[in-house]
Amino acid sequence: MRTGDYKQSYGELVALVDSPPVWLWSAVLVLALIVAPHLLNSYALSFLTIILITVTGALGLNVLTGYTGLISLGHVGFLVTGAYAYAILVSKYHMHPLIGFLGAGVVPAIASLIVGAPSLRLKGLYLAITTLAFSFIINSVILEMRWLTNGARGLQVQRPEMFGISFDSDAAFTYLCLGVAVLTLFATLNIRRSRVGRAFVAIRDNDTAARVMGINLHATKLVAFATCAFITGIAGALYGIYLSFVSVEGFPFLLSIEALAILIVGGLGSALGAVLGTILIVLLPEATRLVFSLLSSQMDAMLTTGAQELKSMLYGLVIILFLRFQPRGLVGAWHDIKRAWVHWPLRY
Amino acid sequence: MQYLLQLLISGLAIGAIYGLIAMGFAVIYKSTGLVNFAQGEMTMITAYIAWTISTTVSGNVFVVAIGAVLAAVLLGLIIERVVMRPMLGEPVFATVMVTIGLAVILRSAINFIWDAYPHGLDIGMGRGIVHLGGIGVRTGQIGVIATLLALLAAIWAFFRYSKIGVAMRAVAADDRTALLMGISAIRVHALAWAASSVIAGIGGVFFALSYDLSPAMFQLGLKAFPATILGGLDAVLGSGLGGLLIGITENLAGGYIGSDMKEITGFAMIIVVLMIRPFGIFGERDIERV
Repeated sequence: MRTGDYKQSYGELVALVDSPPVWLWSAVLVLALIVAPHLLNSYALSFLTIILITVTGALGLNVLTGYTGLISLGHVGFLVTGAYAYAILVSKYHMHPLIGFLGAGVVPAIASLIVGAPSLRLKGLYLAITTLAFSFIINSVILEMRWLTNGARGLQVQRPEMFGISFDSDAAFTYLCLGVAVLTLFATLNIRRSRVGRAFVAIRDNDTAARVMGINLHATKLVAFATCAFITGIAGALYGIYLSFVSVEGFPFLLSIEALAILIVGGLGSALGAVLGTILIVLLPEATRLVFSLLSSQMDAMLTTGAQELKSMLYGLVIILFLRFQPRGLVGAWHDIKRAWVHWPLRY
Repeated sequence: MQYLLQLLISGLAIGAIYGLIAMGFAVIYKSTGLVNFAQGEMTMITAYIAWTISTTVSGNVFVVAIGAVLAAVLLGLIIERVVMRPMLGEPVFATVMVTIGLAVILRSAINFIWDAYPHGLDIGMGRGIVHLGGIGVRTGQIGVIATLLALLAAIWAFFRYSKIGVAMRAVAADDRTALLMGISAIRVHALAWAASSVIAGIGGVFFALSYDLSPAMFQLGLKAFPATILGGLDAVLGSGLGGLLIGITENLAGGYIGSDMKEITGFAMIIVVLMIRPFGIFGERDIERV
């Protein structure tokens, strides 16, 4: 009888997945996502697109917060930087969309080095405070640099056309987001099992021990922060294209909280967690509105006027409740279920 | 010259408000070791309760003041008991995230309980103008500077001489030893939350007196951050003085460089402080022993 899931070699320990059926089910899921845009109506499709974009952003933050254990309260700052970098390169200077996406990654990464260099020398919560500051400063900078960014009027963004394929239709754009999300998933999973990824986790678990092992704390934290900013910037570019209009108002501060809520709800440090958390958090406001509208039309009216407030309250509540009762997130719950399934009726 | 003095005085006044809120941050950091990201929201709620008392019960200064202080104490105690105490012993990451969640909840609760329109707090004083050597100063502005100075003295004496103050310092310095000496960490934490809520709440009420109440008031918390970082996260008195410095700098930058600079001066200062003296002017350097 199988008594546990034992790893017998180093290769098994760092393998991407530990059982072949995972590949099968992942392939089924990808196939389903490829078919979905043709079956869903445009309302459901917009949710799918948002989920795919948000997964990309959440995976980016997961590198920083989940792997390395640093809090960023300025996630939205990198989203907006990436969106503007793409919009300026592609809409204003008519460059190839691929260069636009590259810029959308590189510009936030450079910004992250500027913000990170002073604050990552220190232990503790300083990064949370400086990133919070960054997300406010960057808005002022964008509004000030009118010659480049059009100030408060924002920039129009067209859906891109690459390699002879037009991503103009909703379904095609969803494919683009799906491609980026899958690439990001593989990228972060592979970062996690590489040398630098293990260094990230070592810093999170015990930074003194990590330092003794010869890890350069400052440099490694900077790498984590820049990676996070790079991925986030690309998510920001996608979000800007989705909105078809990039402005400071399109990226409210709530997005930073949303990203953290996703990681906590899903389970910190887990790619699967980021995906599950995104699905829950994106659909939560909609589900709540549905429940309330079934209860009474009066409440429904109140909630449509205060939709943004309802959203923030839900995110706050979800963060607190998960940290209190299920700190390992949905992934932790999923592992518990799997263990119970294998070992029942024994407890372990 | 006239312009400079005007900027300095209004900078001192807004700086005193930042200082009060920054002291709120420092009191909680000093005794519980966590940064309370909901400080600005707690400040805002106290100010809104003061406004509600002034419009529904009585506009008398003493009624509003006592009511606001009681409400702030209650708010601090409730948050400590319901939200923070269950997280006792959890990693700092989790407790800090809880305060972030709390901040978001309180912020939107304001919109549901009260409304999104600006209100002026009118208790018959604070908006009058006094002339000091040709410069017009609002009485509320003088009041808040005086309150900050008085509180600084009172808190210094409290931590220096009172038994509870010494107990709080003991918990901050080494909570295990403090527990062994018979100090109740839970009571110290509850007291810290209540005290922090009151100190920051006073700042909020003064802000409402001089300017207006609005749901955007939580940003006061963000603006008080630089003050705490400048003064030192664990330095209560330093944070108060840091607030004055930030207020003056911000106003000078706004007056001489451009009004957009005013909003981001504080944040830019955080980054400079972290580069030069990360533990703040009055803070204690963290020495790590392996």
